[in-house]
Amino acid sequence: MNRRTFLQTLGGGVLALAQAGVGFARVSQQGRFVFILLRGGLDGLAALVPYGDPDYLALRAGFAYDASELAALTDMFALAPGLSPLRAFWDRGELAALHAVAIPYRTRSHFDGQAVLETGLDRPLGASDGWLNRLLQVMDGQRAGVAIAAGTPRSMSGRFDVQTWSPTRLGIVDDVYLERLAALYRTDRALHGRFEAALQQQTLVGEEAMAGAGARRTGIVPLLQATAHIMRQDRAPNIAALDFSGWDTHANQGLAAGPLDRLLAQLADGLVAFRTEMESAWTDTTVVVMTEFGRTARPNGTRGTDHGTAGTAFVLGSRLARSVVVADWPGLSGAALFESRDLKPTLDTRAVLRSAVAGTFDLTAAQLDRALPGAASAAALARLMR
Amino acid sequence: MELTLAALNRFGLGARPDERRRISDPRRWLHAQLDAPPPLLTAAPASATVIADAVRAFRMARQGDERQRQATRRRLVELALAETRAALTARVTAERPFVERLVAFWSNHLCVSTSAKPLVAPLAGSYEREAIRPHVLGRFEDMVLASARHPAMLVYLDNFQSIGPSSIGARRARRADGTARGLNENYARELLELHTVGVGGGYTQQDVQQLARVLTGWGIDGLAAGRGVGASAASAGAIRFAFHDVLHEPGSKTVLGVRYDEGGVSEGERVIRTLCRHPATARFVAQKLVTHFVADDPPPAAVERVAHAFRASDGDLRMTARALVDAPEAWTPDARKFRTPHDWLVAVLRAFAATEASEAAPVVLRQLRQPLWSPPSPKGFGDSVQDWADPDALLHRAELARTIGRRPGARPADPRTLLDAVDAPAGDLLDTMLSDRAIDVPERVALAIAAPAFQWR
Repeated sequence: MNRRTFLQTLGGGVLALAQAGVGFARVSQQGRFVFILLRGGLDGLAALVPYGDPDYLALRAGFAYDASELAALTDMFALAPGLSPLRAFWDRGELAALHAVAIPYRTRSHFDGQAVLETGLDRPLGASDGWLNRLLQVMDGQRAGVAIAAGTPRSMSGRFDVQTWSPTRLGIVDDVYLERLAALYRTDRALHGRFEAALQQQTLVGEEAMAGAGARRTGIVPLLQATAHIMRQDRAPNIAALDFSGWDTHANQGLAAGPLDRLLAQLADGLVAFRTEMESAWTDTTVVVMTEFGRTARPNGTRGTDHGTAGTAFVLGSRLARSVVVADWPGLSGAALFESRDLKPTLDTRAVLRSAVAGTFDLTAAQLDRALPGAASAAALARLMR
Repeated sequence: MELTLAALNRFGLGARPDERRRISDPRRWLHAQLDAPPPLLTAAPASATVIADAVRAFRMARQGDERQRQATRRRLVELALAETRAALTARVTAERPFVERLVAFWSNHLCVSTSAKPLVAPLAGSYEREAIRPHVLGRFEDMVLASARHPAMLVYLDNFQSIGPSSIGARRARRADGTARGLNENYARELLELHTVGVGGGYTQQDVQQLARVLTGWGIDGLAAGRGVGASAASAGAIRFAFHDVLHEPGSKTVLGVRYDEGGVSEGERVIRTLCRHPATARFVAQKLVTHFVADDPPPAAVERVAHAFRASDGDLRMTARALVDAPEAWTPDARKFRTPHDWLVAVLRAFAATEASEAAPVVLRQLRQPLWSPPSPKGFGDSVQDWADPDALLHRAELARTIGRRPGARPADPRTLLDAVDAPAGDLLDTMLSDRAIDVPERVALAIAAPAFQWR
C-alpha cells in the first residue's frame, strides 16, 4: 500500500479534517504571510540605531555604535552592522523599519509581553486563541497555517487546526505501521485530529521537500530556508509562524560583531535566504519581525540592557509601497523616556500587524477587526502597503 | 484511568513491570514515598573540583587559540552529558517515583538553562542535586534560598555580575577605568515573577529594582583567579557561592511594602523568606502544582486545598505534596495529563525495565525539543497538551517509537507486558494489536509506546 491509497483508507480522514477546520484543498495562493517572533526582547536601539538623535551617544555612553560602522537608512536611523544585509531589501523598496513600537500593554514580563503580542489583544488573557489562528478562522479555510520548528507557538494556537514542522524528524515511512497507529489514534478523541493532520501534512508538502528542507539543521538560516521550501509549493500553508530566542541581552550584549550583532546577522542572512528560496512566490509574500518589548534605553551595570518598553519591528515584502522608516520619534532625552528609563511607545504593534495583513490578503474591515480586535489603523501606516 | 495507574503514571514516572500488581492502595503507596527524606544522589558523575577545573580551563582558553577553546568547551559538554544521564537514570530506576517527579517539577519551576550560557551546562547537574533535590520534601523557602545561592542560577540569571551602583566596588571601578558598573535586574525580576509571587503578585518596577539592590553582592568564588571587582584571590577548589560585601548596595531597601534595613547578605535571605511566605506565592505554586498533577485546566477546589496546605505549613513541601494526593479532583476519570517528551521517554525506559538511561536518551530529548535542563526561557518547560501534542510531535514520537522498537537489547521480549503500563482494557484495539502474532515484535513494541494510551499520564 502506498501513502496515497493509505490516506484514502484512513476512514474518512479527509472528511474529519474538513470538519476540524483544516482546509488544505481550498487554500488559495494569493498572499503569503510570515510572522517571526524574536523571543526575549530585542534591544531596538541596538538594531535600528537612532544615530542621528542628539542624545544617543550620551545615553549609551561607552555602548554606542560609531556611525561609520552602521548601514544608514536615513539621517536619523541606521541598521546595526549585523543587519546590513537587509540593505538588499531596502534598495528594492521591500523594507519598512519601524521604531518606538510596543504592545498595547505596559509590562516588562517576557511572558505577559509575548502573550499580548501573540494573542493580539490589549492585555494578557488566559485561554484566548493566537492572532494568526483567528486570522485563519476569519479567512474561513481559504488559508492554512504552519508553525516551524518549535511546536505550535501561542500566535498560531487555537480552534483552527494548524500544521507543525520541525527539521529533526527522522522521515521514517512505514505505511502499515502508521495505518495501525492511525487506527489506535482514532479511539482517542483528544488526539485523533492532530495525528491525522500530521499524516495529511506529510503528503501535502511532500516528504522529499520536507526531508530536504531541513536536512536536520536548526538555526535561523536553515529554518527560514525550510520555511520557504514549504511555502513556495502549490497548496502549501501560506501563513507561517517562527520564533527565535536569544535576544534577552542582560549582560555583555556587545557592539559590532558582538553577541547580539552576530545574532542579528543570522536573522538578516536568514531573511535574505528566505527571499531567495521563495523564488517567484516572494512576490506576494509579507514578513513581519517583532519582539515582546524593547529594552532599557540606558545600558545596565553589566554591559547589557534590562527589560524595557518600546522597540523596533520590521516589515519586509514586495507588497510594501516603498522602503521606509516609520517612527513618530519620541526622542532619547531624560524627559522623553517612558518612566525615565525606556524608549516611549508611539506606535501599537497591532496597528502594524493590521496594516501588514491588510496589504497582503484581500480582507474586509470586519474580518480584520475579528482577527485583531481593537487594533486601530495608524495614520503613519496608511500608505505602508501597496 | 484506574487508580493504581493514576498513581504510577500521573504522580509517578510510569510503571515498571509488575509494579502495578504490587500496589494494593495507591494513595497509601504515594504517601509512603513521602515519609523518608528524598534520596540524595551522592555519587556525582564528577566532583565539584573536577567541574571547577574544567570551567576555569574553559575561561582561561578564551584567550587561547581556537583548538584550545573547542577542547575546553567539549570538556564542559561531556561533563554536562554525564550529569544528564545520571539524572535521567535516577528517574528511570527510582523506587519512589513520586519523589523523583517532584524533583523534576521543582527543578523546572526554578529552572536554569544549559543552552543559555556555556557556564551553566556543567553546573546544572549539581544545581538539581544540591539546590533542589534535598528540599523537595522540605521547606519551599529553603529551596528558593539554595537556588538563589547556587552558582548555576547566579550565572544563568546574571546576578553574579550585578553590582550596587553606590557600592565600594562600583566606585573603585569608576576611579580605576571610568567604567560605570551597576545593577542587572534579570534575577530579581524572575524571582518575583516566576519563582515566588507570580506575575499577578502585585509588585512594581520599583520592587524589581529594589530587590535587585538587595541581591547585589550575591556572587561566585572560584571562577578564576583575581578576576572581577571584589572577587577573592582564591581560585582553587569548587565554584561556590560568596557574598561580596564590597559589591553590595548600601542602605535600606523596600520590597513589596516591607522595609529592610542594611544587613549585607542577611537582607536577601530575609526578603526571599518573606516572598516565599507571601499569600500570592501559595496561590501561584498551588496553581502550578495542580496543573502539573491533575489537569491543564486546574480545578479551583484542588488549587485552594493545596494552597491552604502550603500556607498552613509555612511552605512545607511534604505537606503540600500530601494535599495533592488527598485532593479528590486528582482521582477523577477526567484528570489526566499529556506526557511531555521527558515524561514519555522516562516512562518508556521504565516500562522496558531499563537499568540506566542510555547515551541516546539525552539525544532523543533534544530531538523532541525538551533537552534536560535546557528550557527556552526562565519560565521552564510547559506541561500542557497545547505545549506538546502538535501534529509534528506526535509523528516524531511515532518515528522514534519505531526506532526504539527495533533495538533488540532494550525492548521487552513480549510486547504484551507493556499493557501493564497503560490504560488499555482487555479486548480493546491496543490489546488486540499487541496480541496479534501476525505483527512482528519490534512493530508491536513500537505500537505500544506510540499509542495514544501511552501518551497520557
